Amino acid sequence: MDAQTKATVLHDIVGKMGAGGAGITTASWLEFVEAQNDGFQTGPAIGAKVPDFTLPDQHGVRRSFRELTGPNGLLLVFSRSAGW
Amino acid sequence: MKAHGINAASITYDAGEVLSAFTEAYKIEYPMLSDVGSKVIRDFDILNTNIPPDHKMLYGIPWPGEYLIAPDRTVRDKLFLPSYEHRASATEVIFRNYGADAGGNAVEIKTGVLDATVALSTDRAFPGHELGVALDIRLKPGWHIYGKPLPSSYRATELVFEGDLVDELTIELPAAKPMLLKALGETLPVYADRVQALGKLGIKWSPPMPAPFLLALGKPIAPGAHKISGALRFQACSDTVCEPPEEIRFELPLTIEQGVPPAPKPG
Repeated sequence: MDAQTKATVLHDIVGKMGAGGAGITTASWLEFVEAQNDGFQTGPAIGAKVPDFTLPDQHGVRRSFRELTGPNGLLLVFSRSAGW
Repeated sequence: MKAHGINAASITYDAGEVLSAFTEAYKIEYPMLSDVGSKVIRDFDILNTNIPPDHKMLYGIPWPGEYLIAPDRTVRDKLFLPSYEHRASATEVIFRNYGADAGGNAVEIKTGVLDATVALSTDRAFPGHELGVALDIRLKPGWHIYGKPLPSSYRATELVFEGDLVDELTIELPAAKPMLLKALGETLPVYADRVQALGKLGIKWSPPMPAPFLLALGKPIAPGAHKISGALRFQACSDTVCEPPEEIRFELPLTIEQGVPPAPKPG
């Protein structure tokens, strides 16, 4: 699937979902899932180091990796969104 | 996870107000980090590049997944699934790294020739979740069971799960040791003493909302108490006797969680 097709599919389905989902077919939904996940990457390999980071949490407090990790490590989950 | 000294945190591209509304709605106790602009998502090299930059809603999302990271920032393990429907359970990654001792949901099997434990990494799951599975077989002295490849006249050791909730089980037993069985005059792959294996069990996905375009992709699964049934199949032999093939059936409880609506919009 080329970049232009992906863009068209993503705009189309998200637009229809925003309008209540009418007009989405199973086939077009599967195309949407494919457009989003095509060639997905999983980041740093097992055994490699992840980049250091500091980000604000839900209470506005800045948190660094060093502060977030437990004595044996951190389970870090990347999700699409907590808003939709 | 706490018992193993592991903390948890999440990262999304959402603004702080979205995260605080979610935290309040679902009583979240772990840190939810706000990566507005997706800098950290880019630094991890998991920015979803299929999304066109002009897509206001989706641009900036990652390819979703989870890492178990050591305190020196080395990746110990990671789980990424390329779909919307199937998602890794956080318990699976803990199970993969700490085994059945990590707790979870276990059943004990006791027979004249062996004791076995079959465990799932959790007793609660959402439809589409992928759970950890652990198998631990302890053979009584003098007995062995079979591995693969095996002539069809014998039964190889096998763990199976069945039923409406079960999507797919992936579990690979360790390599069995070839042994010359004098009574049979054959060399066959066998296990003696102890066999341990870790795997994963996909729970069937069900549509989170009654949208007609989703109903073709999965049957609805009722939230609440369910049972996952399965069987351990094996054939035990000693130096002098071979027992008939056995199938020991078992059940494990699994509560299917109620799908949740999106958190209320902030403001």
